[in-house]
Amino acid sequence: MPILEIRILPPMAIARFGSSETPLEAYELKVPEADPLGFREIHPSTTLEIDHETGEVSKAYIPKRIKFRDGHKIRPVAPFLELFAKTSEDVIEPLTLDLLAADGLGPDSIRWKIDVANIKAFRQTGDVNDQIIAGTGWFNDHAAKDIRGECRNFRDGKTLPFGRVRYIKPTPAHPEIRLRFTPAEGKVYGSSLKGFDPTTGLPSQKDNPVFAGDESRILYDPAKGTWFGFQSASPRTATNPDDIYEGAEDYSSDPNKLGHSQGYFDDVCDGPVSARLTLNSGKALTARAWISSCMPAFAPDSEPFRTVADELEQLILGPEVAHGGNAQAEAAEIVRRMLETVRHMNTMVMNGNVINGRVNIAHTLGTQDSNDFGRNYAPVMASSLADNLAVMLLHERIYTALRSGTAPWFSEVLRRPEEVGDLSDKGRRKMPPMLRGADSRTLALTRRQIHKIARAAK
Amino acid sequence: MALRTRIRRHLGALLGSPLVAESASFGTAKAPGTSRNVPGELNGRQEAILLLQVAASIEHALMVEYLFAGHSLGGSQVPDSHRMTVGRWRETILGIAKEEMGHLMTIQNVLRCIGGPISLDRDDYPWDSEFYPFPFELEPLTRQSLAKYVYTESPGPDAFSGPEADEIHALAVKGSGNGTVHRVGALYARLEDLFSDPDLVPDGAFREDTFPFQANWDEWGRGYQSGARGNSTGGMMPHTPDLLILPVTARTDVLSALDKIAKQGEAATSASDSEPSHFARFLRIFREFPRDAGWTPSRNVAINPVVADQSGSETYSSDYSVISDAHAIGWAHLFNVRYRLLLVSLLHAFEYPSNLSERSELTPRGLLIHSTFGEMYNLRALSDILMDIPIAPGVPETAGPPFQMPYTMKLPVDLIDRWNLHLDLLESSRKLIHYLQGIPGQRHAVYLRGLSDIDAHLSGSIHNVADGIQRQSPITLSR
Repeated sequence: MPILEIRILPPMAIARFGSSETPLEAYELKVPEADPLGFREIHPSTTLEIDHETGEVSKAYIPKRIKFRDGHKIRPVAPFLELFAKTSEDVIEPLTLDLLAADGLGPDSIRWKIDVANIKAFRQTGDVNDQIIAGTGWFNDHAAKDIRGECRNFRDGKTLPFGRVRYIKPTPAHPEIRLRFTPAEGKVYGSSLKGFDPTTGLPSQKDNPVFAGDESRILYDPAKGTWFGFQSASPRTATNPDDIYEGAEDYSSDPNKLGHSQGYFDDVCDGPVSARLTLNSGKALTARAWISSCMPAFAPDSEPFRTVADELEQLILGPEVAHGGNAQAEAAEIVRRMLETVRHMNTMVMNGNVINGRVNIAHTLGTQDSNDFGRNYAPVMASSLADNLAVMLLHERIYTALRSGTAPWFSEVLRRPEEVGDLSDKGRRKMPPMLRGADSRTLALTRRQIHKIARAAK
Repeated sequence: MALRTRIRRHLGALLGSPLVAESASFGTAKAPGTSRNVPGELNGRQEAILLLQVAASIEHALMVEYLFAGHSLGGSQVPDSHRMTVGRWRETILGIAKEEMGHLMTIQNVLRCIGGPISLDRDDYPWDSEFYPFPFELEPLTRQSLAKYVYTESPGPDAFSGPEADEIHALAVKGSGNGTVHRVGALYARLEDLFSDPDLVPDGAFREDTFPFQANWDEWGRGYQSGARGNSTGGMMPHTPDLLILPVTARTDVLSALDKIAKQGEAATSASDSEPSHFARFLRIFREFPRDAGWTPSRNVAINPVVADQSGSETYSSDYSVISDAHAIGWAHLFNVRYRLLLVSLLHAFEYPSNLSERSELTPRGLLIHSTFGEMYNLRALSDILMDIPIAPGVPETAGPPFQMPYTMKLPVDLIDRWNLHLDLLESSRKLIHYLQGIPGQRHAVYLRGLSDIDAHLSGSIHNVADGIQRQSPITLSR
């Protein structure tokens, strides 16, 4: 079968930080049938082990149990990106050594390229020289490639480690074409071993305990750029909310500006992975995917009720569910995820209750409604209803009722996406309450999720 | 003495004479300074408390009857072309049932405010009195039962008359066990009359310090906006009103609350009104309901299903349908236990204040309110399960939620014993769940396991509350 086009699957891969040399092994989450309210069970699944020396898959195995840490070091999630070939109008199959050979090609016909960046500081300062950019250039060998972020305002010779990629060497036993992205360790880097003193507007004389004297993590050169001590004008809409850099909430002598930046960087990055297969005819087939890195999952046996996957599902399949499928089960799954989200919430604090006599003790959505709009500060729900355990029990009851086969009865109390700015008591109490969406206002389910619940109600 | 007898003794005197009589008759006496009659053994405030208790039992009964009727709608016998319509009716009727619960709560608030005992009691099964709309009956929705609901919620003959009104009244009378049917509006008119008169209910009778203990929309309204509650299929009449859960602290509050309750029931006769009443919503369903037997919107559910004493010592008249299927018996007992848990949680919630903004610690009020809602969700699930099981082996008729009242609706005197009552009921529930789990091929094993786990979590929360009580008192939980 001729190779007509190529694809990288998954088209988007999210890696998770970790400083252990051993990546996290593969697993699936399953709701235990006999224990419907129990935590999701972690079931190990087929994992590929890579030989450090050769870059080949040394074995494929199912672990006995999943280990998330090696001592104090967290195991990183290091995703594989696999090449697939479109071989006819309706067939996409894994690209293998055999498929390549059938076209007179070998694994070295494939080249990969990674271009990632971290432009968080640039988003604040607007200085292009604060962009941290890394690229591997095209390669087709199987050695691990460090991804090192470069920045014009860094000290000479300094780079920010973003992790590494490796073109896995295909073998007859594992003939598929894969690339692996191993993210960075998840460290904080900076501009000075000393902190920034907001009261003087100058570097402090005191050591910053974040770096504990580790000079290797000081990358930025304050003599070249402004990030160390930078003050964002407030309000500012480049990011929403604007006060998201370390130091923003510290003292500012200028009432029109946020506090001084401590000049930190994290080792998050994201960007495209490109693959190119050059055919014997000279024609090049290309494909692209996206990689990014983020923090570890500290509650791996729970699923938040709204994730990037829900956004993607809506983007791809639309805001409404077509006929078919098990509407009841889909609705119950959303409620299950709501229950798992509530398990991790301190609902009394997030609701804005008075805690031990103290009012407004944390930066909550209620605080934000007051800060942004001058709304009278008030708890979201009636204070008596915010008891964590009671709220969790309520969600357990709703989920259990749905599992009995009863149709959901609450779709109209779900907040619609166009209602996220409704600051009335009724508006703020719609479901889900107390949680913030990416637009700084109350979170709503996706339209597709709402439709799933409404569909099951009919 | 049965509840009805105790109440009727006084109502007889009231109903035997005009609301405003020129002269006192035997059994009634004029209160000083007023032309109104009150039953001989009572003063104005006590009559108000008596009538509020009657109103509470009526709202409670209507709520249960509407819940039963609403849950009966649907099933595989409904043709595809009518499924959306039937789904809409179901939501409408269940929505009205919730509003009756709001009325019930508001009446409790009034009772609390004027120093009367909170009352969730109601008598089981046939009960006839001129203040009561029609004999209590749990039945699947039919055109005849619907006519009873339309009539009882209807405004007076000045606002609703003509051939359609006559047909509904005739059908309602036919469907009523004792051949009579009454409008609920009369009771509220009497209450408004009573509360309007400071000589009968003096200003000092209203205690504003009870406000924190009363139910309020913030805690019980669940964030539904107008027209949204119970409208998952989007087919409900527009602008369905909010639940009326109105705290009261003074005469004007009480009069306003009673007026709103009466209007939510019977006012607004057209769908274009801003907040359609129960009457308007029931009437719309009545007009859409099939006249012939071409198709049936309701499941084949037994009328007045009851779960009887296993010894067989009880006898039931033909008004009842005794559940005899072993599975259904287990589910029906479980239903009754959860129904009692709901009532106990609701009653218990009135014991704790809501003014948390002035305090730091949580009271168990939130737990009790959430528990009340949680049991509503359980009753919803259990109703659907019961309406899917034959009432007796080999018959097509299904069981249904029995809504049998517990032997007492009184809460124990000591704080700790109130929580012991919750634990007792959870233990009863646990035994029934265990029985049901043991039935081979149990289709609802996941639900039962979930319920069992929730009860274990709830027991944990109750023990936490009890720990707090024990710190102030040496009395401990009994388990």
